[in-house]
Amino acid sequence: MTATGPVTGFAHLHVASSYSLRYGTASPVKLAARAAELGMPALALTDRDGLYGAFKHVKACADAGIRPLLGADLALCGGGARPVTGRVTLLAASRQGWASLCRLVSAAHAASGAPAAGPGDDRAGAPAVTQDLIAEHAAGLVVLLGPASDVGLAVAARRRDEAGRALARWRQHAEVAVEIVDHLEPHSTFRAARLAELAAVAGVPAVLTNAVRYLDPVDSLAAQILDAARRLVPLGSPRLVPHNGRAYLAGPADMAVAAGRVAAAMTVPRVRSTALGLLRATADLAARCALDPGADLGIGDRHLPETQGTAAEQQQELRARCEDAILRGRYRSAGHRPRGTSRRLAAKTARERLDHELNIIAHTRMAPYFLTVADVADRIRERGIRCAVRGSGAGSFVNHLLGISAIDPIEHDLLMERFLSPVRATMPDIDLDVESARRLEAYRIIIDAYGAARTACVCMMETYRARSAIRDVAAAMSLPPDEIGAIAKAFPHIRASHITAALGELPELRRSRLAAAQLATVFQLAQQLDGLPRHVAMHPCGVLLSDTTLLDRTAVQRSAEGFPLSQLDKDDAEIAGVIKLDVLGVRMQSAMARTLTEIRRTTGEPVDLDAIRRDDTDTYAMIQRSRTIGCFQIESPGQRELVKKLAPRNIADLIVDISLFRPGPVNSDMIGPFLRVRHGLAAPRFPHPELRDALEETGGVVVFHEQVLRIIDAMTGCGLSDADLVRRHLSTEDGPRRTEPWFRARALARGFDPVTVARVWEVVAAFGGFGFCKAHAAAFAIPVYQSAWLKRHYPAAFYAGVLTHDPGMYPKRVIVQDARLAGVEVLGLDVNASAGEWRVDAADSPAIRVSLREVKGISDSEIDRIVSGRPYTCLRDFWERARVSRPVAERLVLTGAFDSLYAPASAPAPERPTRRDLLARVGVLARQDSPARPGPAPTLDLFGDAEAADGMAGLVPAGQLRELEPDERVAAELEILGFDISRHVLDFYADLLAGLGVVRSTGLDDQENGETVLVAGVKVATQTPAVRSGQRIIFASLDDAAGLVDLAFFESVQDRCAARLFGSWLLLVRGRVRRAGAGPMAVTVNATECWDIPALEEIRLASGLAAVRGAMATGDVGPGASPSPSADAGAGAGAPPVPDPDWPGMPFSDADDPAGGRTAAARPVVFANGFTLSPYAETGSPGGSPKNPPRTLWHASPGSTSPPP
Amino acid sequence: MVRVYGEPVEVQARADGRPARFVWRGRLYAVRSIAGHWVVNREWWRERDVPAQPELEFWRVEASAGQGTSAGSYELRRDVAAGAWTLSRVAD
Repeated sequence: MTATGPVTGFAHLHVASSYSLRYGTASPVKLAARAAELGMPALALTDRDGLYGAFKHVKACADAGIRPLLGADLALCGGGARPVTGRVTLLAASRQGWASLCRLVSAAHAASGAPAAGPGDDRAGAPAVTQDLIAEHAAGLVVLLGPASDVGLAVAARRRDEAGRALARWRQHAEVAVEIVDHLEPHSTFRAARLAELAAVAGVPAVLTNAVRYLDPVDSLAAQILDAARRLVPLGSPRLVPHNGRAYLAGPADMAVAAGRVAAAMTVPRVRSTALGLLRATADLAARCALDPGADLGIGDRHLPETQGTAAEQQQELRARCEDAILRGRYRSAGHRPRGTSRRLAAKTARERLDHELNIIAHTRMAPYFLTVADVADRIRERGIRCAVRGSGAGSFVNHLLGISAIDPIEHDLLMERFLSPVRATMPDIDLDVESARRLEAYRIIIDAYGAARTACVCMMETYRARSAIRDVAAAMSLPPDEIGAIAKAFPHIRASHITAALGELPELRRSRLAAAQLATVFQLAQQLDGLPRHVAMHPCGVLLSDTTLLDRTAVQRSAEGFPLSQLDKDDAEIAGVIKLDVLGVRMQSAMARTLTEIRRTTGEPVDLDAIRRDDTDTYAMIQRSRTIGCFQIESPGQRELVKKLAPRNIADLIVDISLFRPGPVNSDMIGPFLRVRHGLAAPRFPHPELRDALEETGGVVVFHEQVLRIIDAMTGCGLSDADLVRRHLSTEDGPRRTEPWFRARALARGFDPVTVARVWEVVAAFGGFGFCKAHAAAFAIPVYQSAWLKRHYPAAFYAGVLTHDPGMYPKRVIVQDARLAGVEVLGLDVNASAGEWRVDAADSPAIRVSLREVKGISDSEIDRIVSGRPYTCLRDFWERARVSRPVAERLVLTGAFDSLYAPASAPAPERPTRRDLLARVGVLARQDSPARPGPAPTLDLFGDAEAADGMAGLVPAGQLRELEPDERVAAELEILGFDISRHVLDFYADLLAGLGVVRSTGLDDQENGETVLVAGVKVATQTPAVRSGQRIIFASLDDAAGLVDLAFFESVQDRCAARLFGSWLLLVRGRVRRAGAGPMAVTVNATECWDIPALEEIRLASGLAAVRGAMATGDVGPGASPSPSADAGAGAGAPPVPDPDWPGMPFSDADDPAGGRTAAARPVVFANGFTLSPYAETGSPGGSPKNPPRTLWHASPGSTSPPP
Repeated sequence: MVRVYGEPVEVQARADGRPARFVWRGRLYAVRSIAGHWVVNREWWRERDVPAQPELEFWRVEASAGQGTSAGSYELRRDVAAGAWTLSRVAD
C-alpha cells in the first residue's frame, strides 16, 4: 500500500490499543510503528474507558518519529442509573485539554462506582459520562460524534430530526466534530453518508476515522474472541455484533477509498471534492490536536510535593538535619568504628561523605525528594509499623542520617552514585519494606498526610497468560466448562505464546492427551492473546507522590481495596516526573513484629531489633550449620547449601551470600573461585594491582555492581557517576559491543597494557546486567540477620511469628516440624487457649500453640467471638456463646480443640466423651438450635464438671462412639489445618519404608557420593529455577520427619517422573547421592525414579513387601502412571501467577545429570553473553515480593503444573 | 419475494472489486447498479482450521439478463480466501 493519497497528512483520530481491555489487540508500540510506516504524520490513542496507554503511546510516537494525539472513548449515559446510550470519543487539543481529559476520565470512573476490576462494556457499573459531565470538562476537548454516539444512532434509526437536535445540543456544550466511519458492515456506507450530510447541513466539521482496534484484518479473529470474553457469551451469540476485519489501521490510500465511497453515497453535487474535504478536515484536526510531550503533557518536568521554602532553603534544611545527626553520633560507623579509628576520624569521614552527597543532591535539585521520603518513613514508624529500606537507596549516607535507612554506607563501603548521580536525569528509587499485614495502613498514612490531590497508587495490568488465554478462547468456542478448566490447569504458569512449545516439551503435558487436533484452534488463538492486558489491578507496592497537579496529569479510579488508583503504571510514573515510592509489604517484617510482641508479652523484655549487635557468634554458628528454615532469604535448599559452604561470620559475609545466590554469579561461574579463595585453597588474583582496592573484599571475584563501577572508574578515570551510566549501558543488548572501543581507548591511554585491558574488559562485559547491587544486598542482610538472631535466641516466639505470617517458601508443616526439631513443643488447638494468631504458650519449656485461624473456613468474626467469650466450660457453653457455624464447630471438635475441657482430671477416661461423641453432640445442638436459642443461661463454673455442665450425657453418652484412631486424627488435622500436629504423617508408613530400606535425611551424610539410595517423605516444595545450562531441572524437597531431603530431577528422567512428581504428595524416590565439593556439604539426591507411597502401601497390605518391590521394578503404580488432566483440581486456580522471590538460581550444571544430556529439544533463552535460561524457568526478582500462596500442603512454583490436593 | 439460492456463479469484477457481469444457470447478467456492499466474517470457529482470511464480501446489485428483460436484485457473495463467488439470494 503506497502513501500517495490525494491529501497528505491523514492521521487516525480514533484508535484503541490493547489498553482498551478485552477490546483492542495491538500494543501502542506496534500501532505507532505501523502508522509511521504508512507515512502518517501523527496518531491518536483513544482507548476505551481509560488513559492506561497514554504515556506508552507518547513514547512510542517519539520513537517512531510521529506526533501523538491523546483521547478517550467513553460510554455515554443519561445520568443516574439510566442505561448507556452510546459512546463518544474525546480528543485533547492542548495542555488544558489533557488536564480536562484526565479529570473527565476520573469523573467517569467515580460516577460509575465500579471498582478497578471490570473491562466494562455496556454493563451496569462500567465507567460512563453524561453530557453534563463532558460540558463541565469541555475546556480544550474536541468531542467526536461517530456512529456509536447518540447522533449516529439516531441517524442509523433513520430519525433525522432527532439526530439534528442531538447534534445541536452537543454544540451548546463543547467543540464537536462529526466522525464518519464506514467498516463495510451492512448499511454502514448508507449511514455514514447520512451522517456526513447532517454535518454538512449543520455546518459542523466532519472527519473520517476507521475506529481502529487492531493492526491487520486477520486480527479481527482475536478481537472477536475478546468481544465474546468481555460479554461472557460464546461466538455466534446473537448478542455479538457481526464482525469483519475492517477496523484495522488502514493506510491513507485505503482511507481515501473509504472517503470516496461515502461521498459517492451522499446526495451532493461534487463527490470528489466532498471526499477530499473529509480527508482534509481530518488532517487539520489531527494537526491541531497533536500534543507536545513537554509543553502539553509535562513530560521531563518534575512535580514533587510542595515543601516549605525555596530550593536553597530546602537544601539548607537537609544539610542541617544531616549535620545534626553526625553531631549526635546517630550513625552506625560512629559507634562501630574499625579498630584503630578514632571518633574524630570517623566524624571527619562522615562529614566528607556528607558533603559529597549533598553536592550531588544540590546539583540534581533532589533535596525535596529526600525530605519527602524521610517524612513518609517517619510517619510510618511513628505508628509502630516496622519499616526498612531496600535497594540502592541503602547506598546513601544522607538516607542513613535522615533515619530512612538502617544501613550506614560507610560501614559497608556502599556508593551513592549507584543510587543518584548528577549525570542521570531519572528520579532515584527508594523502596520501603513494611510489615505485610499493615501495608495498606501504611498507604493510608501516606494518602492522609499528602492528600488525594497529591497521591495515588500505581496501577498494573494483569495480562493474558497461557491459562487465562486458554480459558477465554475455549469458552468463546463453546467448549464444556469442565473440559476448559482441565485443559487450562494442565498448563504451568507460562506465557500464552509458549503454549505450543510447552505442549511439545514439558513431559507432563506430552503424556496427556491435550495435543488432540480439536484443540489446535484453541491453542493457536490463545497464543494470539499473549500479553494483552485483561484486568487493571493495584500494583503491589507503588505509591505516587506529586504536587497538587497530579489529577491534571493522570486519571484516577478507585481500586478494589478502596484506594485512589492512578492509571499510570510504574514505567509511566518515571516519565511523568512524580515520586514513585515503592512501599512493599514484607511478610518477614510482620513475622518479626509478631515475634517481638510475643517476647514482650511472655517475658516483658522490650527487644529493640534495630539496635542489637550485629556480631552475635551464636547466631552465625546457627547459620553456618544451615539451621535457617524460617529465616529471611536463606531458608531455601539452595541457600542452605550455600551458607554451609560459605560459613558467614558477619554482615559482610551475609551481603556476599545474598549477592552470590543469583543467576549472574551462576552465569559468570563466580561461586567456585570465590569459595576457593575464601577457604584459603587459592590465592586471590587481581587482573591488575590497581584493581585490588575494588576487588579485595571478594578475593578478586566481581560480585557487586559497586565493584564494576570502581573497575570502570579505575581503568578509564571517568568518575563513578559516569561509570554507573556505563554499567547500565552494559546491560542492554547492544551495550557491550558499543562500549568496548571507548573502554579500550581510555584504558590504553591511561597506560594499562593491552593484555590487562583485554582481560578486564572480558570480566566487565561478561558481568553485564547480572551483578547485584551491594546496597540492595546490604539492605537485605539486615533482616536476614535479625530473623536468624530471633530464631537463635527466642525460638518459640520466632516460630509463633513465622507461623502466623507465613513469610517463607515452605508450607507450615515444614516450619512446624522444624520447631519440633528445635525443641519447641507444638500444642494443638484448644478453644480456651488458642488465639487468632500463633502464640507462645507461657510455660517453662518453650512451646507454641496453633492459631484458630488455621481452621479451614473459620471467619474473623468467629475468631473474635471465640477469643472474647473465653473461658468455656463445655461444648454447649461454647456453642451458645461463640456462635460459630456448625462446620467450624465440627472441625474444632475433630482437631481436639475441646479435649482439654473434658480432660482426665475432671472425668476418668471411660466417662470422657470421645471426639466422635462430641461430634454427635454438635449435631444435636445444631438441631435444637432455633433463632430464639432456648436453654439455660450458661454457668461459668470453671471448677465444675464439663460433662455435667454440658447436660448432654443423656442424649449422647460419653464413650458411646469410638475415639478417633491416631491416623484418623492426623488425617483430620491435614484436612482441617493443612498440617499434621499429633504425629508425622510418614509414621503411618514406617513398616513399608523400613522394609524397603529407606534412608532418612539425617543418614544421608553417611552415604558415599554417587551411591544409589531410596528416600521418602512429604513433598513440601517443587521448583524449576534458572540454571546455568538452560535445561529445565525440577527441584523438590521432601520432609521425612527427620529433616528435609533435597531432590533434583533432570530432563532425562522427567519423562517418567514429572507427572507422578506433580501428582503425588507422599513420594518414594530412588536416586544417587550427590555431594558438592569436599567437606560437610549439603547433600542432594539426583532422582532417577519416583513412586506414590500410598499406592505402594496398598500393594504391601494386599500382597506383601515382595509385591511392592516387584511393582517398583515394573513401573506403573498409582497416580501419574496414566495422567489425566481432568484429575487436576489444583488449588489456587485462577490466582494470578506470583513471582517467587527465593529461587533465582542454583549452582547446578549439566554434569550433574545422572543420565547424561537432555532428551527434549527445549528452546532455551540465550543471552548475549552466552547465558542460557530454560523458557520454563522462574526468573523472579529476589526479595520478598508479596505473596499469597494457595492453601496447599506444599509449595508449587509457577513453573510447575499444580497438583491435585 | 426473496429466494435463497447459494449456487456458485461466475463473476467478472472491476479492478476495485465491483462485480460487472455474472453468469448464472447459463445466462449472462449485466450489473446495472450497486445497491449495497458489506463484509462479514465467516463462522470460522465452526471450522477445522483457523483461517488466514475469514471475510465474506457481499454485493447487492441490480442486474438484468439482457435488453428487454426486467432488472432484478441479486445478492452476490465472495469468499475472500477462496476467491469463489456464490449467488446467495435473488429478489424479484
